[in-house]
Amino acid sequence: MKNTVVKAENIIKRYGDLVALDHFSLEISEGEIFGLLGPNGSGKTTTINCILSLLSFDKGSIEIFGKPMTPTSYDIKKNIGVIMQNVAVFDELTVYENIDYFCGLYITDKAQRKQYVDEAVEFVGLEDFLRFRPKKLSGGLLRRLNIACGIAHKPKLIILDEPTVAVDPQSRNRILEGIEELNRNGATVIYTSHYMEEVEQICTRIAIMDKGKKIAEGTKDELKRMIRNTETVTIEILGLEDRIKDRISTLPHVYSTEYDGTKLTVGCSGGKHNLVRILGVLQENDLSFGRVYSELPTLNDVFLEITGKALRDKED
Amino acid sequence: MQVFNAFMKIMKKKVVISVMYLWVFAIIGIAIAFSDGGTALFEQNSLRICVFDEDNTPESRALCDFLDKDNELVTLENDRDIILDALYYDRVNYVLTIKKGYAEKLAAGNTDDLFESMKMHDSYSTVYMGQILNEYAGTVSAFIAGGNDVVTSVGKAADVLSQDAEVNTASFGEEDNAVLSGNASLFFRYLPYIILGTVMSTLCPVLLKLGKKDIRFRTNCSGLSPGSYMVQLFAASTVFITAVWLVFMVIGAIINGGMYSGTAWLAVLNSFIYTLFSAAMTVFVVSFEPSNLVLTILTQIFTLSTSFLCGIFIQQEFLGDSVLAAARFMPTYWYVRVNRMLAGEEPFDSSLAVTSLLIETAFAAAFAVLAVLVRRAWYGRASAVTA
Repeated sequence: MKNTVVKAENIIKRYGDLVALDHFSLEISEGEIFGLLGPNGSGKTTTINCILSLLSFDKGSIEIFGKPMTPTSYDIKKNIGVIMQNVAVFDELTVYENIDYFCGLYITDKAQRKQYVDEAVEFVGLEDFLRFRPKKLSGGLLRRLNIACGIAHKPKLIILDEPTVAVDPQSRNRILEGIEELNRNGATVIYTSHYMEEVEQICTRIAIMDKGKKIAEGTKDELKRMIRNTETVTIEILGLEDRIKDRISTLPHVYSTEYDGTKLTVGCSGGKHNLVRILGVLQENDLSFGRVYSELPTLNDVFLEITGKALRDKED
Repeated sequence: MQVFNAFMKIMKKKVVISVMYLWVFAIIGIAIAFSDGGTALFEQNSLRICVFDEDNTPESRALCDFLDKDNELVTLENDRDIILDALYYDRVNYVLTIKKGYAEKLAAGNTDDLFESMKMHDSYSTVYMGQILNEYAGTVSAFIAGGNDVVTSVGKAADVLSQDAEVNTASFGEEDNAVLSGNASLFFRYLPYIILGTVMSTLCPVLLKLGKKDIRFRTNCSGLSPGSYMVQLFAASTVFITAVWLVFMVIGAIINGGMYSGTAWLAVLNSFIYTLFSAAMTVFVVSFEPSNLVLTILTQIFTLSTSFLCGIFIQQEFLGDSVLAAARFMPTYWYVRVNRMLAGEEPFDSSLAVTSLLIETAFAAAFAVLAVLVRRAWYGRASAVTA
């Protein structure tokens, strides 16, 4: 049985009439990469701020490492590393000085700090930029510096609040790999994002939030099992008659069919060979078609089915 | 000591502004110290005047004699080109032609169209000469109208207009009571402007940088307690403002011509308290987290407005009662009052000096408390908004 690292129970946080967190509960075990997934404004950052005791809350309790978390729980804070989406470094200090400064807020012993800073520099691959000032770094390198400043003191719990916002795909992959490596090295990770692909890629367990509430929690497979959809078949086809569409609707395991004039989308719930059966109907009617896709459900499908809206706006 | 060290490292990058202020002030101070504070502030100007007397009467010759008293009469050939050359090469400043019929017109009390003149440009001297001629003609005309004959009137007018006003430089001070040298008192008079400017323009950016939202967030998440953070920040700020103040005191001692002695130490204490006020004011401004542009504007507004209103750039004697009444609500006014007593510009009153110092201290304390209150309210609001 793994130890519980974070335990939040029935948290209620209000801003005036707005309920930012509504009876929110959470339990994260040691060694997990726990994903907090939700659209902008769903309460992810408020949750993080409450966990870190940077925000007071109206009701509920939070324990970290088995102890109540308060603003003065410095012994707990010493074991937490925080990486926010905004890069928080000093432009006047060099890369090395920045990491040393933030590490020094936790580690007072100079020799140990030097060793930790060197290891953090190596971990994020900034060895060649130690004397650079942040303004001279590219966006990706800056993100790595931001991460190094948050993890140099070797925290047991690392909280990353949307660390990949506005990051290019290459740097994003490197960041995600780094998080997995930190986890392999023993750190428990809380990862918030509204990018479902990232959360699916690295998180061992996921909580989906909306309007301050936790609407689902589990592994990604558990979450996907919560919904009816098991497969979505998409076929590019022109001139599909309504009778053929209706015929497809009657196939076993098909629960929805949509046709927009160029593309037929069929939602299937369970069963095997759904694609073969659908294509069989098209062949029977001597219809030619273009590209065919068969997709397994995503977390967006989970979110869509639970809340009736998409997790992420298209422009995101 | 991470915060202390970071403060100093960031300060190193910002200190160039301090050095700039310091150099400007040092240069001005040294210039004051080595300037000749001579008394020859007023001197009588005389013009080189060429007179063509077309009237050639006793009256017109009397005018020539009158002009000859305070000016140099120059003879030129009555040729336009020669006259223009002389004016151009500054051999003559004013060319006057007393027109034919001058005496007759005067006798008739008519002062119109008596003269013609040529001059190169409208310097105040040549304009003044035109006024003198008009005044002379008007005075003669007045005496004639008073029943005097022309000759008597001309003589009396010359006498009246020859009376010079005696000009003395006035000093508001009682120099015997001064405990600071003239140059040192000037230095201490201008010191609030430069101290407030230096402290605000240097300390503000460093405190803003350390208190930047994301940095503060990261610091708050760390194992460093707010108490330890504030102690380190306070210590670093104290080291900085003390260093700035000491540098100015050394410059002051150089300008004073030696170490301060006796009551002159009051000027040192006065400046130290004002430096504390400047630091408190800086922390207060930082509480609002202004942008760099706003900070620069605020620094200029605070330094210039207090300097103009409280008697730094303009002596308090020249300021109106309403201005002085308003200035009493600024610590700079009380600083200047103490400095004026030490400079001998007003009688030394020890109780007033102590009161002034206490008022300055109270201002410093008030701004420090306000800064704390604003900081709490501001940060509370900011965290509510960002969450």
